[in-house]
Amino acid sequence: MPSTTPSPDGPPEAVIETRALTKVYPGNVTALDGLTVSFASGVTGLVGANGAGKSTLIKILLGLLPPTKGQAKVLGHDCETSGETIRTLLGYMPEHDCLPPDVTATEFVTHLGRMSGLPPTVAKERAAESLRHVGLHEERYRLIGTYSTGMKQRVKLAQALVGDPRLLLLDEPTNGLDPAGRTAMLELIERIGAEFGISIVVASHLLGEIERICDHLVAIEAGRLLRADTITSFTQVSQVLAVEVEEGLAQLEAELNARGLGVTVAHRTLLVPLAGDDTYDVVRDAVADLALPLCRLEQRRHQVEELFRDEQDEQDEPSEEGMTRV
Amino acid sequence: MSEPQTQAVGVIHDLGYRRYDGPRLGRAQITRALIWHSFRSSFGIGRGVKAKIIPILACIAMLLPAFVNAFAVSRGNSRLFGYDVYTPQLRVIVVTIFIAAQAPELVSRDLRSHVLPLYFSRPIRRGDYPLAKYIALTAALLLLIEIPLLVLYVGTIASAKNDHAVWNETKALIPGLGVGLMWAVLMAAVGLVLASLTGRRAYATGIVAISCFLTWTVSEVLIQAEGGITSTSTGARIAGLFSPFNLLDGIRIWLGGTSPGEDANPGHFGPLYGVVGVLLLAACLGGLAARYRKVSRA
Repeated sequence: MPSTTPSPDGPPEAVIETRALTKVYPGNVTALDGLTVSFASGVTGLVGANGAGKSTLIKILLGLLPPTKGQAKVLGHDCETSGETIRTLLGYMPEHDCLPPDVTATEFVTHLGRMSGLPPTVAKERAAESLRHVGLHEERYRLIGTYSTGMKQRVKLAQALVGDPRLLLLDEPTNGLDPAGRTAMLELIERIGAEFGISIVVASHLLGEIERICDHLVAIEAGRLLRADTITSFTQVSQVLAVEVEEGLAQLEAELNARGLGVTVAHRTLLVPLAGDDTYDVVRDAVADLALPLCRLEQRRHQVEELFRDEQDEQDEPSEEGMTRV
Repeated sequence: MSEPQTQAVGVIHDLGYRRYDGPRLGRAQITRALIWHSFRSSFGIGRGVKAKIIPILACIAMLLPAFVNAFAVSRGNSRLFGYDVYTPQLRVIVVTIFIAAQAPELVSRDLRSHVLPLYFSRPIRRGDYPLAKYIALTAALLLLIEIPLLVLYVGTIASAKNDHAVWNETKALIPGLGVGLMWAVLMAAVGLVLASLTGRRAYATGIVAISCFLTWTVSEVLIQAEGGITSTSTGARIAGLFSPFNLLDGIRIWLGGTSPGEDANPGHFGPLYGVVGVLLLAACLGGLAARYRKVSRA
């Protein structure tokens, strides 16, 4: 666990706190519905399906959008009245593409360092450092337009980091990356959280992905808090055992249900909630007793959509992506 | 107090990440940095070679008459151009080309590449961004328009015969600089609000250029149709209102500009020109502010 910020004011225990936070867009679209939650320092995952209210929450935290009701505080400052102060302490990485193609990464990050309030020489130094931290070395003198998606995501992260923030808000940082790129990006975020001592909020709709790097998780759904907990208690509910047999699927399903496991069928796979090591034994015994040809037995993690599918009535929130759409 | 901090820095330094505990600039200074950055890019400084071509050509085109004047005056001629009008048609064309090329450089690029969320997630407020762009383009236009006037002035007084002649030149120059300021203040607003309509740079350039030339042409045609620049008919007097350039010239004459204009004298409609000028400026700046309010809320 990284220590909290060494700010002289004394770091607040929770980096983000919201109380009955509600946002209703014109046209009666409710993006946030009485959200009360607090984010501890460290790396926190903010999970929710598309349209759950993640981006709206981020905009309110940045002080760019006034809440309809309720209150939000970031690092002890009220979002409605101290947006400017908060924005000096925050680094924000938007979800969508936000880079001009015709400048070099160095120039761009230096300029945004200036915009974060750094003096000219400091901005230059810190831009070079941030780009080095995200793994861009010689490439940083090339025009951004020539970069791969993975490199662009790194520049987006570097610009969030350049002003030495106390808190990073990362909106879907692995968007558009291939599996190797995703892993690299997640490792980078983990390192920033652990070694740089910066608290991080990672918004994502892929629970399975960000749970690898988070200390805490906050799950929201249709603008309400679903659950906020440490990662360990969270993943317990999210873990399932996928069981595949070459034949006798229905037979096995009945058998496992009879043995007290609430089994669901997805395509040709049985999903068994993983309660503990006993579950493996029960499945093994059931398969052995029925003498079925077992071809797959693996531990899986749900995407958040699956996890809350029952409670979820897919709602479309039109302005979810508005921040970067101009 | 100092001990734990030193320790913390030491630990972090080992890990490669350095904290920044030095001074941070406030909103006003950040806006100033944005103005300076935008001012430089309005001349293509800090950008590629291609971005510099139009600003350089525009500056050369504007300066040329002033150098011709210096040469002519040194041969014993009197000053060729009035300070308050300089070379009217050339100025209209060059200013139009300059804002058509450079206003999109300042605003359309950022819209196109969706950079704005990065600005608005930093300490500056929503209105600071368009304000900075406006001040930067105004300053750039000011240089483009005023430096030739200063060259005109220096070229003329270099051959002046006595102090009295120098003083007369100076007295004539000052209102000329005032007219240049009016041009810069109004045309920067017109150019930016039009360019901010679209993130597509070519369209933005087209919109600015066509708006400026079209309104100017319409206004000129109307003036001709109403009997030309010497006409005293109401139609000829108010036809200048249809183009920002002729509007500016009308205000110049109303305020006592001495050089004959290219367009009809506004006569007793002078105050109307003044009011329309102020309204146009207010509308453009209001439109610009509204444009960026929409962007960040989206």
